[in-house]
Amino acid sequence: MFFRMITGAFRRQWKKMLMIAMTVALGASIATAMLNVMLSVGDKINEELKAYGSNITVVPRSEAVISHLYDVDETEEQAEYLPEETLGEFLTIFWANNIVDFTPLLDTPATVNGQEVPVVGAWFDHHLAFVKKGTTYERNTGIINLRSWWDITDGTWLDEAKLKGDRYAMVGQKLAATLSLKAGDTFTVATDHGTETLTVTGIFESGDDEEGMLFTTLSTAQRLTGAEGQYKKAEVSAITSPDDELAVKAAKNPDLLTGDEYDLWYCTAYVSSICFQIQEAIPQASASAVRQIADSEGKILEKTELLMALITLMSLIGATLGISNLVTSGVMERSAELALMKAVGAKNGQITRLILTEIILTALVGAAVGYFMGYAFAQIIGQRVFSSSIEMSGMVAFLVTILVIAVTLVGSLPAVRMILRLRPSEVLHGGH
Amino acid sequence: MNKKHRMFIRMVMASLLRRRSRMIVALLAIVVGATILSGLGMIYYDVPRQMSAQFRSYGANVILTPSDGTALKDSAVNQSMAFFPSEQLEGYTPYRYENTKLHNLPVTLAGTDFASVLKTSPYWHIAGTLPNQNGQTLVGKHIAEQFGLRVGDSLEPINSFEVTEDMDVTALLPEEVYTDPATGERYCDHILSLTVAGILETGGSEEDYIYVTLSDLKDFTLTDRGYDIVEVSAAAREDALKGYLTAINQQVSGVSAKVVKRVTASESTVLSKLESLVLIVTIVVLALTMICVATTMMAVITERRREIGLRKALGALDSSIVAEFLSEGLVLGGIGGLIGSILGYLFADVVSMNVFSSAITFRPLLLPITIVVSVVVTGLACLIPIRSAVDVDPALVLKGE
Repeated sequence: MFFRMITGAFRRQWKKMLMIAMTVALGASIATAMLNVMLSVGDKINEELKAYGSNITVVPRSEAVISHLYDVDETEEQAEYLPEETLGEFLTIFWANNIVDFTPLLDTPATVNGQEVPVVGAWFDHHLAFVKKGTTYERNTGIINLRSWWDITDGTWLDEAKLKGDRYAMVGQKLAATLSLKAGDTFTVATDHGTETLTVTGIFESGDDEEGMLFTTLSTAQRLTGAEGQYKKAEVSAITSPDDELAVKAAKNPDLLTGDEYDLWYCTAYVSSICFQIQEAIPQASASAVRQIADSEGKILEKTELLMALITLMSLIGATLGISNLVTSGVMERSAELALMKAVGAKNGQITRLILTEIILTALVGAAVGYFMGYAFAQIIGQRVFSSSIEMSGMVAFLVTILVIAVTLVGSLPAVRMILRLRPSEVLHGGH
Repeated sequence: MNKKHRMFIRMVMASLLRRRSRMIVALLAIVVGATILSGLGMIYYDVPRQMSAQFRSYGANVILTPSDGTALKDSAVNQSMAFFPSEQLEGYTPYRYENTKLHNLPVTLAGTDFASVLKTSPYWHIAGTLPNQNGQTLVGKHIAEQFGLRVGDSLEPINSFEVTEDMDVTALLPEEVYTDPATGERYCDHILSLTVAGILETGGSEEDYIYVTLSDLKDFTLTDRGYDIVEVSAAAREDALKGYLTAINQQVSGVSAKVVKRVTASESTVLSKLESLVLIVTIVVLALTMICVATTMMAVITERRREIGLRKALGALDSSIVAEFLSEGLVLGGIGGLIGSILGYLFADVVSMNVFSSAITFRPLLLPITIVVSVVVTGLACLIPIRSAVDVDPALVLKGE
């Protein structure tokens, strides 16, 4: 009988039920879209912030100590290098997936046409394959993504994969002007360790000191420096979590953390824990955060996430009120029908059960439709803004379902209470 | 005002007052819609400005360098700063670099204004404090490691030079000056006594410098030649910045102003993404909310089909019924819009205070826009069910079909 009444109600009142379902669907779609966008906005903005370049630098550990211990003069200081094989270790650390890009750098003074020129060797878009303990790690990485602000004013980026050999260079605008070089030109660069004839692939504008430098492949720079298979410094761009109290505490000295704190710190992508892991993997290296990038990233991420959270909260409140509003009016509307049921002897509990079952069934259908609508909206936002899809969290589906049921129940409460107080004769008589 | 009009107004008001609970439902829906509209609208308009200020944590986005290879004078710097609107200029910091020796090792002293340095380099991590008087110094981490310096330690860089006739020697202590007995030339080992107030960690080249006040550096070198570089942090977009810089480069002689491309180019990319994120979120949420408001209004009106039927049966004209219901909706829309736009402003302000710790700019234009949109949405939402109710035969409606 109960089921017949419910199916009957749906058949007879499908228009009203449809209205309620539609409103619930709209509310649920706002909730779904906003919650999903909110949960993934941190990652998305973090990726965008990678445009600022590397946030970690890796240098040989002993560099700072040598001159202190032996009081050697700067000019005679023994250059310290890291072996090129260590670069693969970046791919093996706990947070390797958060390392977006990295490049080794090897700089040396050189002369071109008798003029002093700073030469920097780097990976441009290097294919790295690293084998450790039987596992092969592969990655394409290099300076192309770490210098997103470079404008190539002439020619193209140095494409390591396409070009034959490694005797190529990219020249800063200022240097290109003084040497009167343009894309496609060849020139000779000389150091104490030899000479190389390089072809210019492109001229770049960077707005900083690098405009006066010459960038070439790492292998060419190694020959010019006489440091075969070595590099001086590495720039690493990693997706990190904003620093909090724990990170600040750990930055001072990881040994002071308690066991639990240490585990939490180690397994969170703080810039300090990534640095620590790099040093673990490459014992002869010292990794430190580039504060300008790391700190600002944290600040902007925090602000964006908070902003989105509050907008989401606002939309949720709006959606909630919208749903409960309509549910209230939907139930109230049927006072005549419910009063009649009371008149023919239905108990309050029975009526309440009937009403709530109806409403919740309607709301769940609405929520299901709304979830998929919300999915579509989230994807539109993701594609439009970040040109990438937004990951749907299973938690959101669960949350939205709970939210819809709770809101519908709360929304029907005042109406149900009113109905229970109804005096059938009054309602049926028509005077309320 | 004639009788007919007065009756009309009475009917509208009476209907609103009598059917209080239903009207509250409708009003609540409109208020929620209007709150979201005006709140998100205000946030959307204010986000670029507020976010742009957050991006200043990347530090200076403009640098001034001497165009003739000498140094920047105060007058040229002040002249250049006048080109930045004062509300956009976060701060500027001059730097002057001098090479000298510490324990016979070459080091670089950087003279700067510590009062403004954190405006252009907010990312500096300082262990200890920022120097606030002459004789104090901020030492880069590398230098501190190299010389084993800690906060509170003292260091004495030495400036050795030959004393010439035209030199102002009032700042020199007698014991610093000595005469070479062979040539009779006078030399000086001028000492600058410094106490380490803080150690600077940035992860960049700043860690290789010893920062001192500009007046200490002046006393140490006995000259005040000006600045090597001035860092400027301005909360302006790339295009606006380039405009100011073109003007500076043309009109201020001896100054070459450049944008720090790494900061400005990246900021434009990220900020435009953020803006379009807030925009599209606003549009989606608004569209859904407005539909939600409309469905609620439709439900409220649909409920009153019996009333419409009764009126028609009593001989009311279709147009007068439509006019009455519509004005009811419009009154609701107006009131809801007004309440909502005020609530929206309050909400936007709460968001702004929480996220950016600054008040939101009130946009007066959003008030009428919110009210108009609320009125139009409610009007349209009323019109559809009224029309369908009016079109139906009153007998059918009254029968309860």
